[in-house]
Amino acid sequence: MRISGAAAFSTGLALVAAYAVLTAARWPPKAALFPLAMGIPLLVLALAQGVMDWLAASPPEEAPQETRAAISILAWMAGFIALVFLVGFPLAVPLFIVGYLLLQGREPWFLSIALALIAWGAFYLLFQKLLHFPFDSGWLTGGGT
Amino acid sequence: MIDALLQGLWLVLQWNAFSLMLVGMSLGFVVGLLPGIGGAATLALMLPFVFKMSPVEAFAFLLGMHSVAATTGDITSILFGVPGEALSAATVVDGHPMAKNGEAARALGAALMSSLVGAVIGAAALAVSIPIVRPLVLTFGSPELFMVTMMGIACITSLSGQGTGAQLKGVAMGLLGLLLATIGQERQSGILRFDFGLIYLWEGLDLIPVLVGIFAIPEIIDLAARGTAIAGDAPATKLGAGVWEGIKDTFRHFWLVVRCSAVGVLVGILPGAGGGVAQWMAYAHAVQSAKDPADRERFGKGDVRGVLGPGAANNSKEGGDLIPTIAFGVPGSGAMAILLGAFLIMGLQPGPEMLTKHLAVTYSMVWTLVIANVITVIACLALLPYLALVTRIRGSLIIPFLLLLVFVGSYTANRQLADLLVTLGFGAVGYLMMRFGWPRAPLVLGFVLGKLAETYLFISMARYGYAWLTQPLVLVLMALTVLIIVFPYLQQRRSHAN
Repeated sequence: MRISGAAAFSTGLALVAAYAVLTAARWPPKAALFPLAMGIPLLVLALAQGVMDWLAASPPEEAPQETRAAISILAWMAGFIALVFLVGFPLAVPLFIVGYLLLQGREPWFLSIALALIAWGAFYLLFQKLLHFPFDSGWLTGGGT
Repeated sequence: MIDALLQGLWLVLQWNAFSLMLVGMSLGFVVGLLPGIGGAATLALMLPFVFKMSPVEAFAFLLGMHSVAATTGDITSILFGVPGEALSAATVVDGHPMAKNGEAARALGAALMSSLVGAVIGAAALAVSIPIVRPLVLTFGSPELFMVTMMGIACITSLSGQGTGAQLKGVAMGLLGLLLATIGQERQSGILRFDFGLIYLWEGLDLIPVLVGIFAIPEIIDLAARGTAIAGDAPATKLGAGVWEGIKDTFRHFWLVVRCSAVGVLVGILPGAGGGVAQWMAYAHAVQSAKDPADRERFGKGDVRGVLGPGAANNSKEGGDLIPTIAFGVPGSGAMAILLGAFLIMGLQPGPEMLTKHLAVTYSMVWTLVIANVITVIACLALLPYLALVTRIRGSLIIPFLLLLVFVGSYTANRQLADLLVTLGFGAVGYLMMRFGWPRAPLVLGFVLGKLAETYLFISMARYGYAWLTQPLVLVLMALTVLIIVFPYLQQRRSHAN
């Protein structure tokens, strides 16, 4: 049996609510009141929606190409975050722009580098020169976070 | 009073004050475009610069910056679906779909003009209401403030869309938002809730990463998946031509703009209700003012009224916020608490003296709010056709810059690298919500109101027991809350009967 994405999402939500209720049930009343008051109705609603989604005829799934595009862009975001952890924002910004424009956007070299320089310049002027905003160093470029 | 009003105007138009206001506005313009550094954070960053200024110069600088940030926050919300300020998230719901439909300029025109009208109404409220608002502020204790948060939560029914299925999903998302707000240390008992052993979660989740993740990342994924520009295949001639249409929309729905401005002023006056509430209540009011269910269906798909309501409330709230700050030294928001610091730096004591001895300074603040917004709107209107052209740039070229805006913005809110992961996580969840038809606005509203609701409920119970439930104003607010919940159903029944 093929599970629809909608049914999987509703079920996931019900599991989150169930976890919240079971966890909160072990706390003292003051701390548990609000999470239980929100978690129990959420669990009921998510289960109701889940049942409806499981019973419903499977709607046509999103085109594989769109799913691939979504996964691809999420992977780029994860890559950018990894870059920030490794080398810090000031270096990650131009590296990411050049990488994305060249590899994903398939833009020409000169345009990619020019846009990366502009982005870095704007970032440097605004955050470092004007606002003196302190950015953490990356793990590779000094000191960790 | 008229003398003081004119004197206030004269003080703001002095070269030093005026030029400092322009500097503040320029800063506010840029800050408003960035999601992380909000108006409050910039006020804090700029506070050390006011030591050598006169009171009028200092407030022209600070208020000019703060009021403009609220206005320009709408620009990125509309163009990219990235809320420029936490206070401009509600504008995304209808503003960005308008940009996708090729109506970016119209949406921007409407947002800016309604912001101006809202700012003027907020300033007017500030000018006339200080003497009469005292009883209102003093009447609102924790029970009444709890009921105000309940009114905000009740707006979820209006943000959920039509039909039982949509309402079920909307309420579930609102509950999830409220549940997410309980993450972190419980303030009364000190119990750590849902912290998973992470110190990062002790303070709970921050609003900015959640907001930016939920709203902006799904739009970026959608843009990447479509492989087109933001405005898709909309005709190029339509893009810049809508500015005047947007301005006319403000006056076509003028009473809606006035009512939403009033919502903003009232929420602003109440200390602790928070600016995040005003925009959603105004948006919900705009939805409720739809003539029939078919009319309501247009919201969320690019209805200009969904831009006008939050736009007006965001800016009128500034005037409302200033009322208790100036008159009683009770700041209505984080930004106003920082502004209170400026009062002390200037040697001014908020309270009766601001209404007698320093009345001209008080009125100079009113004029700053008006003049700063007028200049911003005029400058933006000149730039709008060019700003709207951004929606024609192909997606592959603009996506890395949007990602920078999103992640740099998330990080600068708290300087926590873990916020980047939270942004990504909520972005993925937001995308799935969008794909499977779960509304995102109720989740954000629940999250914004969750902490406030729990705190006020606890104080009310600790102080009054269950007796607070019988207080007259609480009962009135309770009735209003019930009315907000049942109104969409009444409207639906009336429409079926017709």
